[in-house]
Amino acid sequence: MGLPRAAPFIALIAVGAGSLLFDLTLPSRLPSDADWAEAAGALRGAAQPGDAVQLWPVWAERARLFVDSMPVLAEEDPRQADYPGVLRLWVLSLPRTPFFAPPDAALQARGATPSGAEQRFGALALRAWDLHAPPADPITRSLEEHEVDYVPRRCVVVPIGGRLAERAPARATLHVRAGVVGERAYDADRPEILVQIFADGVPVGSLAVPRTVRDGTGWHRLDVPLPAGAAEREFVFAVSSPDRARSFCLQAWTSG
Amino acid sequence: MSDKGLARTLGFATAAVLALTQAPVGFVRDEGYYFTAAQSVEAWLRMLLHSPLQAIAQTERYWSYNFEHPGLAKLLFAASHLVFTTWLGVLPDALAWRLPAFAFAGLLSYWLCLLGLSRSRAAGVLAPLLFWCAERTFFHGHLACFDIPICALWAGVGVAWLRASGPGLAFTYGAALAVKHNAWFLPPVLLVHALLLPGDQRKAMLRKLPWLLLSPLVLFLAWPLLWHDPLRHLRDWVAFHTHHVHYAWWYFGQVLRGPPFPVWYPVVLDALVLPLTNALVLAAAGISLLWAFARRRLDPQRLLELGLAGAALLPFLLTTTPIFGGIKHWLGFLALLAPEGASLLARIAPEPRRLAAVAAATLLPGLWQILHVHPYGTSAYGELAGGIPGAATLGMQRQYWSNNVTGVLPWLNAHCPPGARVYFHEVNVESYRTYVRMGMLRPDIRYAPSPLQSDYAALQWHREFRDREPETWNAYGTRRPATGLYLDEVPQVVVYARPGLPGAP
Repeated sequence: MGLPRAAPFIALIAVGAGSLLFDLTLPSRLPSDADWAEAAGALRGAAQPGDAVQLWPVWAERARLFVDSMPVLAEEDPRQADYPGVLRLWVLSLPRTPFFAPPDAALQARGATPSGAEQRFGALALRAWDLHAPPADPITRSLEEHEVDYVPRRCVVVPIGGRLAERAPARATLHVRAGVVGERAYDADRPEILVQIFADGVPVGSLAVPRTVRDGTGWHRLDVPLPAGAAEREFVFAVSSPDRARSFCLQAWTSG
Repeated sequence: MSDKGLARTLGFATAAVLALTQAPVGFVRDEGYYFTAAQSVEAWLRMLLHSPLQAIAQTERYWSYNFEHPGLAKLLFAASHLVFTTWLGVLPDALAWRLPAFAFAGLLSYWLCLLGLSRSRAAGVLAPLLFWCAERTFFHGHLACFDIPICALWAGVGVAWLRASGPGLAFTYGAALAVKHNAWFLPPVLLVHALLLPGDQRKAMLRKLPWLLLSPLVLFLAWPLLWHDPLRHLRDWVAFHTHHVHYAWWYFGQVLRGPPFPVWYPVVLDALVLPLTNALVLAAAGISLLWAFARRRLDPQRLLELGLAGAALLPFLLTTTPIFGGIKHWLGFLALLAPEGASLLARIAPEPRRLAAVAAATLLPGLWQILHVHPYGTSAYGELAGGIPGAATLGMQRQYWSNNVTGVLPWLNAHCPPGARVYFHEVNVESYRTYVRMGMLRPDIRYAPSPLQSDYAALQWHREFRDREPETWNAYGTRRPATGLYLDEVPQVVVYARPGLPGAP
């Protein structure tokens, strides 16, 4: 068999062998229960108030079986994610999985810096990041979480047509996040939802939440400087829309 | 062994392997509906045996359920259950319902083998293997659904068109018509095929074509719903599929909810879910057929295979046809490329030892995929996608829609206190009842309508149902799962338990 005739034969053998090699070695690139338990133990030992774990890739949620010492987050965009109340972010990752792209650049782009060396637990990597987040105080305090734009959010469900009033410390900047819970965010031909925000009766801004068209755009943001005033104020969020059937969720805090 | 003997052997072997590996295969959502339909049809069959006139008068009552699919497959599922379970008591329910599906799978191997044998004996053996050595196709072969039956008849109509008599063709096409609406697309393919043939062959084929006019008789006989008010039922059947809803489907990080869908969606999905070697060989087969077509060097059989493969795929390239269900709706595309793919393998390695090597290189990744992933077939991804974890990173559909729940049923059986309420999420009540009936789930475990009204929740990971997990956290007051089914680390089914209940963390 000459080389040109043999080429498809050789190529197919090579692809088959390569495929099998990938298949058979894949389990060795994934963490074992022991790896998870060790990583969870390390987190338990180092946990402080203001800590949270970010999973990477975000589908690695088997971590929830093991990590019990701090909130487990699966934010899909670490550069844009708010991480409200989080001072130190532990990135727990599976760096040997296919198509893995570390979140380091995204975290650095938001000003975060590594606050320690990377630790390895078998196929798991763990590294703490200081988010250098400005001091913040929550306005909405929710024990519940709701999914908006495919990420669980600690937001408060506010009936459309209703108001949410909360007394809270007022720092320099007001942050409001809002969106429709679940798939109804994508309902066609639905009117936008408007949130009007007042601090001690003074209008400070408004946030329009239109129907979500593309994944990743359904959690709407408003960041505005607060006018000078009392250190603690009553914040009112008035939510309105001609369509009241959707479940609407809102989160707010001040920082600075 | 004669050619037909070899084809029969491969057909029986296929059916036997599927029967032997079906027990752990969970019930996909549609299968639950077909089980229910089969039970209704079985009741009708019993009435037919005892009071035929009454049964004929009451077709509407027993056949209206699942009106959107014709009767043949459901009739066979019901008849099999009636004989092997109700009368003889020798088979468990699900196996009896699924038995006809295995027969269709066997027929598919038989016809693929025949198509391959027209090229070489090696191609005859390799053609069905090329189709089945992938977890996605292997999985679908197990289900009492219509996808493998129509795929088999797609090939069967091709073989009948080329080789059978007019009545044989009419019967085979009638059977296809009586299994699934995909068969509507076959007559145009056969007509175009006939028109592209040279002189005498064209005339002979065109003379065969009118036999198809008899095929609706099979549809009518196998679907008693049509025995009363047939036009209304035919209209409902057509309308259901021409106005089919679009289910959300995750694809490269975006949830596709409606048209326009990506043009190359079905081809890309095939490339990602199949073992890389299968995908490469089938792609080469498609290119080989197209190349020969462009050079007008296709014999009638290869021309027909190209037409049938193309017709199975074409609706899904239109960007408006519903795309849910992974690759199951265009399995005929893969099947009709398999004989050419098998032939290419035999041609690049004509000597037996080299052929064995190339067959092993092609099929072993698929065999590994089956061993590694079965019975969770809707979750399988090939090497090009980086396997299941790679596909999760790419943002591809994890599963559809609930069969993977079998992975956590043993845990629920072991931990749920008597009378526990379980939220089964995408497992419909029909499938839940079948799990209980099959002894796979304790009968005292109750079906809960929501996380709030449940003690345990078995959440199937779907991008579009992500709200269910926080809903469960809120209802239970914990964010820590009790257990789950994770394939290569990727969550498929996550189980939560209310704190304080057995099994809760």
